[in-house]
Amino acid sequence: MSDTSVTTRRPLADRTLPGPQERGRATFLHSLHAEWIKLRTMRSTLWVALGTLVAGVGLAALNGASAGGEHATLAPADQAVFDPLGTALKGYMLAQVTLALLGGLVITAEYGSRTIVPTLTAVPHRSRVLAAKGAVLAVAAYAVGVATMLAGFAAGQSALAGAGAPHVQLSDPESLRAVFGGALYLTLAALLGLAVGTLVRSTTATVTTMFATLLIVPAFGPALPGPLADWAAVYWPPTAGGQIVTGYRDPALLDPWPGLGVLALCVAVLLTAAFLTFRRRDA
Amino acid sequence: MIEVRGLTKRYHEVRAVDSLDFTVRRGEVTGFLGPNGAGKSTTMRMILGLDAPTSGTATIDGRPAAAHPAPLRAVGALLDAGALLPSRSARHHLLALAAGNGIPRRRVQEVLDVVGLGSAARRAAGTYSLGMKQRLGIAAALLGDPPVLVLDEPLNGLDPEGIVWMRRLLRGLAAEGRAVMVSSHLMNEVERTVDHLVVIGRGRLIADTSMAAFIAAHSSPREVVVRSPRAEVFASRLAAEGAAVRRGDDAQSLVVTGLTAPVVGALAAARGIELHELAPRRPSLEHAFMELTQDSAEYAATAGTGADKETF
Ligand SMILES: Nc1ncnc2c1ncn2[C@@H]1O[C@H](COP(=O)(O)OP(=O)(O)OP(=O)(O)O)[C@@H](O)[C@H]1O
Ligand SMILES: [Mg+2]
Repeated sequence: MSDTSVTTRRPLADRTLPGPQERGRATFLHSLHAEWIKLRTMRSTLWVALGTLVAGVGLAALNGASAGGEHATLAPADQAVFDPLGTALKGYMLAQVTLALLGGLVITAEYGSRTIVPTLTAVPHRSRVLAAKGAVLAVAAYAVGVATMLAGFAAGQSALAGAGAPHVQLSDPESLRAVFGGALYLTLAALLGLAVGTLVRSTTATVTTMFATLLIVPAFGPALPGPLADWAAVYWPPTAGGQIVTGYRDPALLDPWPGLGVLALCVAVLLTAAFLTFRRRDA
Repeated sequence: MIEVRGLTKRYHEVRAVDSLDFTVRRGEVTGFLGPNGAGKSTTMRMILGLDAPTSGTATIDGRPAAAHPAPLRAVGALLDAGALLPSRSARHHLLALAAGNGIPRRRVQEVLDVVGLGSAARRAAGTYSLGMKQRLGIAAALLGDPPVLVLDEPLNGLDPEGIVWMRRLLRGLAAEGRAVMVSSHLMNEVERTVDHLVVIGRGRLIADTSMAAFIAAHSSPREVVVRSPRAEVFASRLAAEGAAVRRGDDAQSLVVTGLTAPVVGALAAARGIELHELAPRRPSLEHAFMELTQDSAEYAATAGTGADKETF
C-alpha cells in the first residue's frame, strides 16, 4: 500500500499548515452540488424514474383504452361528465407514490446506511443540508413529473382516439394546466416524502405512511363517518391537489389551483416540522 | 487544537460523558482510551457537532466544528467506517463530501491514492472489506487536508500491514503539525503510536498525561522473569536476599520483584546456578491501563474462563 502521505518528523515550529479560515467557504451551492451527486448515484433514483414513467404511461394507455371502449355505452348524463383529460392522466396515482418514495429515500437512505454521519460532519449546517436535498429533489421530481405527464397524456389520448371516444389536444389550456400542474403535484408528493422521511427516519415507515396518505385514505375516505368523509372528499390534501389533473369540474370539490394550494400548504407545514426536527436532533 | 471544557452528555439518567476537560494539541497523536461504553464515541460526536452536549463546550481551533466556514478543512473525522451507501462507489461517496465543502475533484483521487484505494475507487462501497472501508474512512477524513483529525477506532479490521501503515500515517500527520485524536482498544498499537493519553471511564476523565508518565505511574513494581533448571533452589536464595518470588508459567520459571536483573544475574553466577532466561519485564500500557481502569470498566467480563490475567 502507498506510503505517499507519510512524512518524516519535523520540528513543530516548521509547520506551514494554513489555518482553516484562510481557505474557502462552503455555501448552499456547494451543498446543492453534493446532494445532486448523491441523488444521481443512488441506485433507486434510476428505478424510481423508470418506474414512474412506466406506471404513468401504462395506466394512461390502459385507462384510455377501457374508458374509451365504454364511452359509447354510457348514459347521456354520464357522457356529459366524461373526462378525457383526467382519464389519460390517471397514471399520477402511481407516479405520486414512486416519487414520494424517492423523496423519502433521499433522507432515509442516509439514516439507514448511517451516511448521515459523514454528511453532517462535512456540512454541520443542518438546514442547508435539508434545503439542498429538497431543491435537488424538487427539480428532479419536476423533470420526471413533466415527462410522465406528457407521455401519459399522449398515450392516453391516442388510446381514447383509437376507441373512438372524445379526446383533447395538448394545446388546450385545460390540458396544459393538467400536465404541468400535474407535474407540480408530483413534485409536492416527492417533497411530502422528504418531509415524512426526515421526521420518521425509516424507509419502511415512510413508505407505509405514503401509501396510506396518498392511496388508502382517498380510496376509503367515503367509509369514514359522515362529516369526516365529506371533509376528506374535498380537503384531504392529496385529494384536493388531485383536482389539478382533471378536466371535469365537480362543483362540490375544490377548483384545480386552490386544490393544489391545499396540498402545497400541507407540504409546507410538514417541511417546516421536518426542518425544526432535523436541526435539533442528534445525528 | 481541540479544547473540551466541562463537556457533558446525559441520556435520560445516564451521564454518558461527565464534565470532561482536556486538550488535544497540534503536533501530537493523542490516544483517547477507555473501556467499552466509557463515552469515547459520544465525546467525539460532540466535538464534531453531530450531537449537542447537555452542557459544556468543545471547540476546534477556537470555535465549534459547525462554526467553521468549510468544516472538512478544519477537522477530518472517521467515526463509523461502515457508514456507506452499499451501491455507491467510493469515488462518488468522496466526491459528494468534497463537493459540499467546495473541495476540488482532483483531491478525491489524491486521497484515494494516499490510502491505497486508487484502483478500487469505482467499485461499489458495499463490496469493500472492513479494512478497505477503514481506509476509505481515512480518505474522507483527509479530504480537506485538515489541521485536526478525530478518528474513532481506525485500526479496527486492518491487517498487520494496514496497522503498520496506519501507525506511520498517524505519526506522519502529527509530524506535519496536525492535532490527531485517536481512540483504540489495541493497547500495544497505541503504545507505539501515541504521544499523549486521555483516559476516561464512565464518562469521567481519569488521566490526561504523556504516554511515558502514564506507564510509569500506573505500572506495578518492576518484575524480572528468570528460568532455571534449579528454580526451587534459586528461589529460596533470592528470597533470602529480600526479593519477593513467585512461580512463573511453568516449574522452571520464576517472577522476581524487588531486585533488578543485574543483581539477580550476579547472584546466580555467584552460586553457579545455570540460567536459561533472565528478562526484566517491560512495563506496558496494557498493564497500566488495566490497573487504572479496573474500577471504571462498565462492562467487564467476570473472571472464570481460565484465562490468565497476565497476558504478556
Ligand atoms: N443515543 C444514545 N442513547 C442512549 N444511550 C447512549 C446513546 N449513545 C450512547 N449511549 C450510551 O452512552 C455510553 C457511552 O457510549 P459510547 O458509545 O460513547 O462509548 P465508547 O467509549 O465509544 O464505547 P466503545 O469502546 O464500546 O466504542 C454508553 O453507556 C452508551 O450506552
Ligand atoms: Mg465507541
